[in-house]
Amino acid sequence: MKRPLPRLPAPIEKSLLSLCLLLPALAVGILCCILLSLLCGAQPFDVVVTIWNGAWGSKASAATSLAKVTPLLLTGLAVALAYQGNLLNIGCEGQLTLGALSAASFAVMAAPLPWPVLMPLTLLIGALIGGLWALPPVLLRQRGGVHEVISTLLLNYLAIYLAEYLVLGPLGDGTAMGRTPQIPPGAALAPLLHFGVQGITAAPFVALFFCLSAQIWVSKTVWGYEVMATGSNIIAARSAGIGVERWQRRIFVLSGALAGLAGALEVVAVHHRFYRAFSPGYGFDGITAAFLVNGTPGWLWLSSLLLASLRAADKWLQLMIGISPNAILLIQAILLLCVACQWRLPARWRKGVSS
Amino acid sequence: MSMEAAGEVAQRGLIVMGWPFICLALSKATPLLLGALGGILCELSGVINFALEGMMLAGAFGAMWATFVFQSPWMGILGGIGGGMVIAGLHAIACLNLRANQIVSSIALNLLAAGTTGMLLNQVFKVYGTSPTVKRLPELGQFLSATFPDFGVWMVPFLGSLSILGPAALILGLAMLGFFKWATWGLHIRACGENPLAAEAAGISVGRTRFFAVLMSGSLAGLGGAYLAVGELSQFVEHITQGRGYLAIAALILGRWKPLGVLWATLLFGLSDAASESLAVQWSGMPNQFFLALPYLVCFAALMLRLGKNHPPSALGKL
Repeated sequence: MKRPLPRLPAPIEKSLLSLCLLLPALAVGILCCILLSLLCGAQPFDVVVTIWNGAWGSKASAATSLAKVTPLLLTGLAVALAYQGNLLNIGCEGQLTLGALSAASFAVMAAPLPWPVLMPLTLLIGALIGGLWALPPVLLRQRGGVHEVISTLLLNYLAIYLAEYLVLGPLGDGTAMGRTPQIPPGAALAPLLHFGVQGITAAPFVALFFCLSAQIWVSKTVWGYEVMATGSNIIAARSAGIGVERWQRRIFVLSGALAGLAGALEVVAVHHRFYRAFSPGYGFDGITAAFLVNGTPGWLWLSSLLLASLRAADKWLQLMIGISPNAILLIQAILLLCVACQWRLPARWRKGVSS
Repeated sequence: MSMEAAGEVAQRGLIVMGWPFICLALSKATPLLLGALGGILCELSGVINFALEGMMLAGAFGAMWATFVFQSPWMGILGGIGGGMVIAGLHAIACLNLRANQIVSSIALNLLAAGTTGMLLNQVFKVYGTSPTVKRLPELGQFLSATFPDFGVWMVPFLGSLSILGPAALILGLAMLGFFKWATWGLHIRACGENPLAAEAAGISVGRTRFFAVLMSGSLAGLGGAYLAVGELSQFVEHITQGRGYLAIAALILGRWKPLGVLWATLLFGLSDAASESLAVQWSGMPNQFFLALPYLVCFAALMLRLGKNHPPSALGKL
């Protein structure tokens, strides 16, 4: 007689699901790296080793990589939370840009305020603008049936051009560099640890705190349950008396606010000003980060670390083995495709990512 | 505003609305129309296709590569179709065979196309950003006067800088109208998108029909990309599509998944694109970013103002 496989307790199994999705994808990703190095005429493990050394090889590079984790955690959380409500927020790039610009401009204008007031207000303004920028797409989805993927994408372009205009004109520092004045020291996050060149600020830990509390919010509270119910079966949720439309609006605005906060934190902790072409694609990487772990906020640190190492190492690929930095995009795409195609999972786990 | 200023504005408007302007609008609408036609084919069969951007990008690169290798832009068209079909094939395998989430697969494929084209540009041509110049497709006027010498020459001044792919796209659009109305295959595709179970019961192989539809969608979008690389420009530039794939999807929604509607929607976007280009020269007081953002702004406004409800294919995105 065949005995059924032993089952782990349900909550543990559920939280391990994301890991089960990510690990095989990682294996395929590493395989692709090896193929890539062979194709480009390098030693088999060159790409993997270069990425590792570039991201975590020295103190300076480790600090840089860790700084890149912050926006990825927050934009990843933004996408993951919206996905809990069955909405896709592709507009993080625009929300992040406008959040950063408004935070930087506010900090400059409100410089006389004492720092315990100035700092939280700066972050709040960034989040507020990001959230406002996310409001039209969800209203369009509910009133007009326009898929939010399209409207958020269009708003990305508008946000980036708007920010470019503002930073070259009214909000700029008067030079032709396309940047705002530096924010006052009261609004800037000082490094906690002097490590590498930049030091490590509190920003990554703030972002991690947001992710972990979001995990608890989603899995342990009534509100989180209502959001999840909205996402998994909207008709059942509606008949159960959950205010589905209201939750979708709230979660999407919250998602935009998180992306805006990511921008504001980037200003406050890393650059201390806003400049043109501010985001090197953090908004889009957030999508990858969220889907790599199946939209589970509690595992986002893993995917964010992974993506941040890839991001941090892209220039090294060029310098050390002469492979174009675009290879990073390719690796990301392959990871994402592997996670999306969940053919390796046993049947009872085949839910989650596929709609 | 004084009368003189008003008169001047009107005069400028007339210049803007002239015949060359319409030609410009048509040529701006061409890649969008080709992409959106591809989108119709895919989405009517029930598969979400946000990967149009990636397909167009791969098509543009394939077109440039084939033209470079064979020294003929006609081969470039084939290369563009091939490039689009590669991405479409991956989308079809991921969505139909491996049951991936169609939106996530699209996002991944857009990334894949961006990464691969940039990398190949670097590895094959040893350059960054911009490929070497290749031959262009002939303009419609040149083409006509070469094939019909006595009749074509007379047409040249009217056709301006319209590429031969412009009218080809219009014809393809009309052909698609007929295809979905009268051809059996067109009805099969629509059946798969509306009610796959009923289609299966009627003896249509839903999987195979959808696979075919996705592949054809890739070839059309790839053609749109080929237009960008060897029709409008004569080289490949990184991120040459600049979100045109997404605009094509917006046109698809605006045109309510109907070939004729999509034709009008892409013409609207083409007009706004052309207007932003010619206005940028005349109203030099306005910030440059306004003109760059205008096509997206018009698109967003059109989506917001759209009247009535739309009806996407019932089984869109479901397997």
